[in-house]
Amino acid sequence: MTVKHIDASTLTHDQHYSADVVIIGSGAGGGIAAEQLTAAGFQVLLVEEGAWYQREDFVMEERWAYPQLYQEGAARKTRDQAISILQGRTVGGSTTVNWTSSFRTPAATLDYWQQQFGLAFQAEQSLIPFFALAEQRLNMQPWSLAPNANNQQLQRGCTSLGWHSGVISRNVNGCANLGYCGFGCPINAKQSMLVSTIPAALAQGATLLSRLSVRQLNWQGNKIHSLSALPVNAYFQPQKGINVTISAKHYIVAAGAIGSPALLLRSKVPDPSKRLGKHTYLHPSVISGAIFDERIAGHQGAPQSIYSDQFVWPQDKEHIGYKLEVPPVHPVLMATKLTGFAEQHALLMQQFDHLQVTIALLRDGFHPDSQGGHVQLDQFEQPLLDYPISDYLWQGMRKALLSMAELQFAAGAKQVLPIHHDAQAYRSWSEARQAIHNLALKPLKQTVVSAHVMGGCNMSAKEQDGVVDSFGRHFQLENLSIFDGSILPSSLGVNPQLTIYALVWRNCQQLIQQLT
Amino acid sequence: MQRRQFILSGIAVAAASSLGIGVWGWQHSFTPNHANRDLVLSALLPALLLGALPTAATLAEAELIRTKTAIADFIPFLPLRQQQELHQLFNLLAQRLTQLGLTGHLSRLTSLSLPQRLSLLAAWRDSYLQLLQQAYHGLRELLYGAYYGQPEHWVALPYQAPRFR
Repeated sequence: MTVKHIDASTLTHDQHYSADVVIIGSGAGGGIAAEQLTAAGFQVLLVEEGAWYQREDFVMEERWAYPQLYQEGAARKTRDQAISILQGRTVGGSTTVNWTSSFRTPAATLDYWQQQFGLAFQAEQSLIPFFALAEQRLNMQPWSLAPNANNQQLQRGCTSLGWHSGVISRNVNGCANLGYCGFGCPINAKQSMLVSTIPAALAQGATLLSRLSVRQLNWQGNKIHSLSALPVNAYFQPQKGINVTISAKHYIVAAGAIGSPALLLRSKVPDPSKRLGKHTYLHPSVISGAIFDERIAGHQGAPQSIYSDQFVWPQDKEHIGYKLEVPPVHPVLMATKLTGFAEQHALLMQQFDHLQVTIALLRDGFHPDSQGGHVQLDQFEQPLLDYPISDYLWQGMRKALLSMAELQFAAGAKQVLPIHHDAQAYRSWSEARQAIHNLALKPLKQTVVSAHVMGGCNMSAKEQDGVVDSFGRHFQLENLSIFDGSILPSSLGVNPQLTIYALVWRNCQQLIQQLT
Repeated sequence: MQRRQFILSGIAVAAASSLGIGVWGWQHSFTPNHANRDLVLSALLPALLLGALPTAATLAEAELIRTKTAIADFIPFLPLRQQQELHQLFNLLAQRLTQLGLTGHLSRLTSLSLPQRLSLLAAWRDSYLQLLQQAYHGLRELLYGAYYGQPEHWVALPYQAPRFR
C-alpha cells in the first residue's frame, strides 16, 4: 500500500486538510498517540515540523545530524544563554536522537505529584500496566552487553566508593553497540517512534505531514475549530506564502515542553491558572571530564548503560538530588563544551580518546526555590525559554561537581576537569575538592546543559493548579489534549521517555473511549 | 525601532563608557554582511584554533576556509533572533570598535597581533558585562563546532566517522 506522506515544503498552493484527530508533533507523545488512535479506527493526521529522515538518510556526522535533526541546530539555549538544550526536531522527535535510556517514573516523583497536584497515579489510576505495555512495545530491556569504557568508569567509581549503580534499560532491538544513537540509529535498532508506532500508524492509514510548523490553534468559546500552519524552508524556518489549515474533531498538541506551550501562547488560549508556559523543568546538568591512562573512546558503544542514584533522593530535603550518568563523547559536542581556548583547548582535544565524561542531572521542581523556567515568544513568535538558576540549584551543582570528581578519581582518573570556565584540570581529589569549593558558580562561567525538557502545560487534579487534567485534557478547550512532556508537573529524576510513553498510552485509552 | 536592535550595540556603548570614550556611531545593522563576517572570522579563528591548526601554512589556510564555509552553512539553522544578533556582532566587530575589552589604542580587529587577539578573547570571557561573555561563548561554540565538525580536522583526536553502509 502507499504510505500517505506529504512534505509540506513541496506544496505550491494553499491547502486545507481535515481528519478525525490531528496530532501536532511526532515525538514520544505524538508517536504513541498516532498508533493508538489509528488502531482504534480514527482518521489521523500527524504533523511534524522536522523532516521525515529515515535510516538511509542518516549521516554519522555531527555536522549533518545537529542541523538536520535537532531544534535550532542543537544550539538551542535559554534566554541568558547559560543553559544549552538538546532537543530533537525530526519525525520521531527526540526519540529519534535520544540515547535510549528507559526508566519508569520513580515512586517518589508520583508521590510528590499526588501531594502537590492531587494526581493519584500510585493508586487506582496506576501507570504500571502502561509502563509494561510501552516496555514491551519498544523492547526495553536492561543492557546485557558489557558497558563501554565511559560507562565502565562510572560503575568502577561507584563500586570503589560503595555508591549505588545500576544497569540502564534501553529500547533497542538488534543493537550493534555502535554509539551513534544521537545521529539517528543507522541500523534501525533503536525502537524510536520513527521505526515503531509511526510506521504502524501509517500502515493503518494515518497521514504524515512533515516540514509543517503549526502556528496557531483557532478557537472560539470552548472549542478549537481549525489550526493554521506554515511550511518550513530548508533550514526549518517557517515560511510565509503557502497557508495550510487543518480541521479536526479533536486536537492533540505534542510539540514538546517548549513547542507546545509556545503554540498555546501564540494561540492565546484561555489560561486562568496562569501556569501556561510556566514551571518548565530541564534536569539542569553539570559535566565533569576526566583523563584516564587507558583508552576510553567514549564515542564507541551504547552511550548510556550505567547510572547511579546515590544522590538523587537525598535524606536532607533542603538539598537538590542529582542522577549520575555519562554522555557519548563526539568531537563537536566535546569541542563546544570543553573549556578554554587556543592551545589549552587543543591539548584537551588531543586527549579526546582518553576522556571520560560524567554528567549530573539535577532533579528540579521539587522545592520552593526550584520553580523552573518560563517559555516566552520572541519577536518572530518563536519560543525562548527563560530559566533563572537559583542559589538552591547552584549549591546542588557544586555538590554534583564534587561527587563527580570524587567518583572519577576513585575510578582511577589521572586528572579531573570540572566543566567550568575558571576551572583547571586537577591531579588529585583533594586538589579538586578545594578548587570546586572556591569556584564562582554563575551563569556562563558554569557550563550547564539539558537534554530533558518537561512542564509548561502541567497536569493537575484541580483547574486552578494546572493547564490540563490528569488525562491531558485541556481544562478550558474541550477538544484539546496535550500529550507530551509538557504536562509533567515537575522534573522526574529519570530520563523522561518511558514516563511520556506510559502517560500518553493511558491518556489515549481514555480519549478513545470518550470519542467513540 | 525595536529595543533588541540595540542590545549588541549596547556592548559598544557600555565598553565605550567604561573606557572613557564618548558615544560614536554605534547603530550597527543586523543585516548579514559577508565581508564583515569573513573579516571577523579571519581574525578570530587563527587565535581560537591556536594549537589545533596545522603548522604548514597552506594546510592551515585550507582548514580555515573549510571552517568559515561550515559556519556560513550552519548559521541559517539558528533561530532568526540569534542570526540577527550574530550578524550584528560581526558588523560591530568589523568596525572600529575593536578595542572592546582592551585598553590601549583604538585599532581594527585585523591589525591586532595574535597575542592581542588572545587577550581580547580572554577579556570577553572574564568581562563583568554579560553581553561580552555571551559574545565570547556564542562565538566560541559556533567556531569550535564548525571546526571540529569536519572529518578532515579529526587527525589529532583521533576519531573517525563510522561507515555503516
